Amino acid sequence: MVEVRSVSKYFGALQAVDQASLGVRAGEVLCLVGDNGAGKSTLIKVITGFHRPDEGEILVGGESYSSLTTLQARQLGIEAVYQDLALCDTLSASANVMLGQEPVRLKIGPVKFIDERQSAKRAGELIARVGAAVPDLQAKVARLSGGQRQAVAIARALVQAHRLVILDEPTAALGVAQTHASLALIRNVAQQGVGVVMISHSLEDVFRVADRIVVLRLGAVVLDTPASATNRREIVSAITGMDETVGAI
Amino acid sequence: MSPAGPGVRSRLRFLPRVGARNLGLLIALAVWLVFLRFTAPFYFNFDNYRVIGLQIAFIGIGALGTSLLMIGGNIDLSIGSMMAVCATAAALVARDIGVIPAVVAGIAVGGAIGLFNGLMVWRFKISPLIITLGMLAVLRGIAILMTSGYAVTGVPDQFKILGGSRIFGLQSPVWFLFLGFIVVGTYLHRTTTGRHIYALGSSRDAAQRVGINIRKMTTGLFLVNGLIIGLVGLLAASRLGTANPTFGVGFELEVITAVILGGVAFSGGEGSLGGVLIALVLIGNIRNGIIAVGLDSAWAQVANGALLVVAVAIDQVSQEQREKYRRLLAMRERTPQEVASTKPASPSKQD
Repeated sequence: MVEVRSVSKYFGALQAVDQASLGVRAGEVLCLVGDNGAGKSTLIKVITGFHRPDEGEILVGGESYSSLTTLQARQLGIEAVYQDLALCDTLSASANVMLGQEPVRLKIGPVKFIDERQSAKRAGELIARVGAAVPDLQAKVARLSGGQRQAVAIARALVQAHRLVILDEPTAALGVAQTHASLALIRNVAQQGVGVVMISHSLEDVFRVADRIVVLRLGAVVLDTPASATNRREIVSAITGMDETVGAI
Repeated sequence: MSPAGPGVRSRLRFLPRVGARNLGLLIALAVWLVFLRFTAPFYFNFDNYRVIGLQIAFIGIGALGTSLLMIGGNIDLSIGSMMAVCATAAALVARDIGVIPAVVAGIAVGGAIGLFNGLMVWRFKISPLIITLGMLAVLRGIAILMTSGYAVTGVPDQFKILGGSRIFGLQSPVWFLFLGFIVVGTYLHRTTTGRHIYALGSSRDAAQRVGINIRKMTTGLFLVNGLIIGLVGLLAASRLGTANPTFGVGFELEVITAVILGGVAFSGGEGSLGGVLIALVLIGNIRNGIIAVGLDSAWAQVANGALLVVAVAIDQVSQEQREKYRRLLAMRERTPQEVASTKPASPSKQD
């Protein structure tokens, strides 16, 4: 369980996040929606330790923190996958998944020899856990399609993230079929008992994958609801701040 | 997962990986040697191999540093002049102070210059091509100033042992080359740090996000390159028993040609030392062979430059091919199975 309570963040005079609270349970997919500049990215960067909140607290596994560092967040099992994925195109899928966490076969002083077999095995397991089909783990990532690349990036996050995976617009750059595959993959991750926060602009995708939907407007949480108890109309009016009777969307 | 499985693959990785690219180099080498067999029959004898070995030893040791840097996404163009400064420093110290201090001085001066280059590249975030091109001129000038333009002579005989001896019939620089390839190759291809150098050259962003200290690694690679060039300068001065501020003119071009021809991507993150070694052997045989068949030695320069252009062209074309392949894959991914495997089967629009 990862929770933020009454978190505020200012950039100078601008209040990017205003007393926002939300909680993600293990195995739950929480979709964070809101207009551009609503504070979604700032809020998740508070959770990943990139931003230090000015007010409020972050609760991870029952412990309260006034702020996290990026290293702390990672050690607590929180990882983010950004839209650009940040993969090494010239390295294999398995090397990408295990990057920075390579299993070591022999250690001589500061020199650590990689256990390639173990590395490939673990990468294979992780990608299988995400439920993706990457035909050849030793193929360079440059040879993979958009959906497969995303699977590799999420698998890499899962090496560390036992609590929470944050996905920033995972489907924005994908085609129709790849979006389908990607959403299925996100459900798979949640089924492993990891919490998922997904930022998305596509309500279509949100309703397909979310357990909970949280709407941010002008930095504040204006709606926090189970996905099954709401509809598109309500979400849109929460995002825009306009009464649904006015809405012609 | 493919039927071959990752297990089999990873076992095969222990064998030297002969990619399509290396195969091309080997074929080119074979064709050239067959050509020489008929046009220059005296080419094939041990003494000539020793000459070639010595020629490629200096370029090859230098190529170790450039390979490390370039795989890590950087480059140092100043190595030709850097080598001259190191050789001159080593020879001056050998003449005026002593042999052991000279060995230390040669390598340490290289390390210091390399580190300086690295810190500048890191701090100013300007293309390393421009910064180190400037340093190429600066260091050449310094080398000339160090000796007022004259060669350093009168070094003690013990100073000539390091670069001038033979062990089992092979000159010491050739041994340094072998040793260097084994050590650097093992480090680069088998260890976590080696893997992270590839990651750095491939995507700085990715490297940073998984917690690699990219500042330390970038400056560290420049430092190691400097130490290696220090060794090259030291070996050159020691072998010839003199140092001249004109040492190493055009050295950077020869080294970079070997490295790129060997399959190290100019954009970083790709390549192996095995490929560089094959490229070195090819370059050595072409340069020496051109003279052996009676052509003007200027043709060797033409060949060297042409090889660089060809190597870069191959690099570019293969990257374009990869891009095409990826687009094709993305199109193919819209297979019915994948669409059906997702949760609801309703058609959707991209928002």
